This record gives sequence, structure tokens and C-alpha cells, in this order.
Amino acid sequence: MKLQFWGVRGYVPTPGAEYLHYGGNTCCTALMGANGELVVIDTGTGFCQFGDALVGREFGRGGGEMTLLISHTYWDHILGLPFPALVHIPGNRLHIYGPDSTRGSLQMVYDGMLSPVYSPVYGLAHIGATHSFQPISTTPFMVGGLRISAMPLSQRKHSPIWAYRVEEGSRSVVYITDVRYTNDLIWQQALHFADRASILVHSAPYTRHEQVQDYGHSRVEDAIELAQKAGAEQLMLFHHAPTRTDAQLHAIVKHYRDRLVTQGSGLLLDAAREGEEIEV
Amino acid sequence: MIIRIWGTRGSYPVARAEMLRYGGNTTCVEVRVGEICVILDAGTGLRPLGEALGREANPPNTIHLLITHTHWDHIIGFPFFAPIFNPHNRIEIYGLQRTQSSLRTTIANALSDPLMPISLEDLRADMNFHEIHDGVRLDIEGRVRISTAQANHPYRALAYRIESDEAALVFIPDTGPFHTILFGDERVAWTGRPVPNTEEELATLADMRAKVIALAHRADWMIYDSQFTDEQYARFPHWGHSTPGQAREIAEAAGVKHLLLFHHDPHHTDAQIDAMLAAQHALPSSNLKISAAFEGMELRKGFAL
Repeated sequence: MKLQFWGVRGYVPTPGAEYLHYGGNTCCTALMGANGELVVIDTGTGFCQFGDALVGREFGRGGGEMTLLISHTYWDHILGLPFPALVHIPGNRLHIYGPDSTRGSLQMVYDGMLSPVYSPVYGLAHIGATHSFQPISTTPFMVGGLRISAMPLSQRKHSPIWAYRVEEGSRSVVYITDVRYTNDLIWQQALHFADRASILVHSAPYTRHEQVQDYGHSRVEDAIELAQKAGAEQLMLFHHAPTRTDAQLHAIVKHYRDRLVTQGSGLLLDAAREGEEIEV
Repeated sequence: MIIRIWGTRGSYPVARAEMLRYGGNTTCVEVRVGEICVILDAGTGLRPLGEALGREANPPNTIHLLITHTHWDHIIGFPFFAPIFNPHNRIEIYGLQRTQSSLRTTIANALSDPLMPISLEDLRADMNFHEIHDGVRLDIEGRVRISTAQANHPYRALAYRIESDEAALVFIPDTGPFHTILFGDERVAWTGRPVPNTEEELATLADMRAKVIALAHRADWMIYDSQFTDEQYARFPHWGHSTPGQAREIAEAAGVKHLLLFHHDPHHTDAQIDAMLAAQHALPSSNLKISAAFEGMELRKGFAL
């Protein structure tokens, strides 16, 4: 299984020279199975570039198929969906899984996002590709040889945010975003869900030292502690803050790697970078 | 009048090395006349603009935010604009009145669960929503005059003219040309070839074009939709965008002094935009100056403190 990061920024896209190394597109992570299975987690603006990259393949001829796993429907996780040409090519098939919200089903949320007041698409009915929406549940399912499991990881008044685990044989990628560990129950659930992940992709826009108003995010230190206690092999920090420059991310990675070395920890740590491909 | 361009891109923001010069942020333009601050559209360029305002010694407490329409690329920067969280600020937001949804509801729904975790009540600034039409005239403190027309874009959009005693700027980031397709509230299906317009549609298009040209009459600057190459326009006329040639035609008819190509296509690299501009410069010269708008561009006219 290969993992590709197409968008690693949180909140809002950040074009600009100081963000080029890690990238300015919002959340989109792709997983490719050994048999050509294609699973995409979240469709921020990174999905636009990913879609462009796929057009040269079967998606350009209307013969492509992908599974989309949506963690939740905040802008930085969904707004890229309607732009790639492949979404408008009849014959392509999109299987979209994600949580229903407090204000309607996942399908209704996407339809509203594409309504004419917000989008020239005028609603889901005008998406040319065949698409289906299914509410995600905790029952695992298979996409070819990939085993997908999911878990809700928030206890807020807002709509739920789901974490995903994609496994191929003994290798696994766990994706956790927009979670704040406000109580031990959520922490224990996350710990269990990330157990011995080959790669843990975890949102961590800020460090514990920063005084920022945020809307329910974990810190770099939380992600590291979770990865260590879950026995993950590698931690990829993502959902970088919009103010976070390349230089700051370099410094953060170096600082926390040094700490891991001092602790004698074997955890591999990095900040996710747009365009990066990892053989899981 | 001072104009600073914070976002030039159309459709969606792009963060790529080969697009840095013209910039990847979506549409946002700052206009300053003395102490009056007017902002055109709330694309991702609004976030760095908010940061820049925060660095000013005496930042404006009142901000007039004029929205052409509420497609995502024109509002995506709004919740990341720091001044909306400052209780000393007053934000006057202008946008199209619609029967389907109020401007306030459109913004509020975009910001709140399940699309975002905030609500209008979380915004600390005093927020006032003004629903306007095409053909209106507004006045800010007797120093800035704003007038509007309708642009030819899916679900309709506004065109703005901002005028002081010193200069006039016209802002039309999204419009198709005024032939082939008449856009309104209904979706236009595109079968690959134009459907002949009725006499009534042709008359409406001609009227819309005349009003846009009147709006732009002898403006110092016109920022205008030039997203498409001719080849793209031929394939996607139903998206409601123009080519540099179509922009130039309107600018020349209106006697505009300086045309700024804008709403750059998210697939166009700096080199491609350079080429689109060079093709215009290669045409027989008129008195019209033509540039391609870039992030960080600043234009000035008149006395400024």
C-alpha cells in the first residue's frame, strides 16, 4: 500500500513562497492498494491536484473508481470535491463514506455545498460521475484487499468527526484529525484505534506552547504521546496551521525528533508534505 | 486612492511554485481612500489582508466588504479575517439580494456546523448586512461613491464601481461575455453547442452589456474576468467566464484607461498568464494599458497620506 499526501494544510489553503515545501492545499490523503485499489481520505483543495494527476489514467476515459472517506464536512475537508474533471466525467464511480451531520445526511451537506448560492455546479445532481453516499459506521468493510474501519472521535455539540484505519495485510494507516483529547474516554478510544499503526497521520496544528484559540484540535505533544503509547512505527503530523511557515515546521520536526532521540524512542516522526509518497 | 491586490485566482486557491508570481489566493482587493477601507470579495486573499491590517499603527475600525457573489472562491477567506473577531470593529457587508436566501443566512450557514464550527454570534465585530441590487448607488462618508451593475454569471453576480474624487476602479471578477449565453438564476445546460437566443434574451444581454460599459465609463482601472483562453471559452462557455480579448473589448468600449486581467484560471501557470498578456500586447495598440493582476500589486492615484 502506498500513501500520498495531496493536501496537508488545515483550516484554509495557504498559497505562498513560505509554504511551498510542506504545501498550502487543504486536507487530502490518498492510499493505493497493491491491486490498484484507490482510497482517498478527505477532499480539501488537495483533491483538485490529485484529480488532475489521475486524468491521464482510466479516470480520463470514464473508467475510474475510487472510495472516498470523509472525516467530517468542515470546509478544509470537502471543498475540493467538485473541481477535478474526473468528477464530471460519466462512467467514473465515486463511493463516498462519511458521517451524517446534526443538520442532515452527508449527501445533503454535499448537495448544499454545491447549491447555486455557493457553487456553479448547482447541486449533486449535476455531478457527471456515478456517485453514492453511505453513512459510515464502526463495522469494517473491504475495498478490494484493503480493510477499512472507522470510529467517531469527538464528544462535542457539533457534528461528529470520524477517524479511519486502512489495512493491507499487516500494514496499516490510521488517520485522526480535528480531535481534542478532552477526556480519558476519547483518549482511550484513539489509543485503541491507533494500536500498532504502521503510520499514524494525526492533525497537530499547534504546539502546547502556543496560545491560540482553536476549535478542538490536539497539539503536537498529544499526537506524539498517542503514537508512542499506541506503539505506532511512524507519526506524520498534518493539518498544519495557516500561519505555520516551512521554516517553523522544519524547526518543530527537528525539536521533537531530538526529544525522541533523548528519550530513546524508536518512533519515526515527520511533518506531512504535499506531494510526498510513502511505501507503507 | 490606493488599491492593493491580495488575491487574483479564480475557482479555487492554488499553492504551486509555478504560480507564485501571479499568486494562488482567490479574489480579494483592498481599496483605501483616506481613512476609508473598502474590500472587494472575501477570497483566501482576505486572510493575509487581515494580518496586514493588524500590523498597521491605526488600522481602520470600519470595513466595507463588497461581495460580488457568494461562490466559495469569493467567501472562503471570510472566517480567517482577523478583524471580524475584534469587538472594536464594524464590518458592513454588501451583497446581492436574493429571494432564496438572505445574504446573512448564506454567510451564517456557510460558517456553522456541519460546514464550520462557528456562528455569526461568535464574531465579535459589529456585523451589518446590506442586501443590494444592480443599478444602486451608495455613498460612504461623502468621499467614496459605489455603484453596481449585473454581471453575466451563473446565479447572477454584481459588478462594482468604486469612485473617489481622485480615481475610479471597476471590479468585475466573474462574468461571461454578453453573447451566446444569458445567465440567470437557473442552471444553463451545455450540450456542446450554443442554443440560439430568443429576441428577448438578446435584448437582455445587450442591456446588461450597455450597463456594464456605462459602469466602467472612463474608469482609471478595470479589474475584469479573464480566466479563459479562447480554446477554454469554446469548451466551457457555460461557466460564465471571459477571455482577455473579451475583457479588452469591454474596456475599449468603456474608454477604460488601464485593464487588469483577473480571476486567473487555477490551471494557468505564471508562464501561461504571461503569454495571454503578451498576446494582448501584440495586438495593434490602442490607448488602453493592459496588465495581468498579481498578488501584491499596488496601484495609486491622487494624494495619499
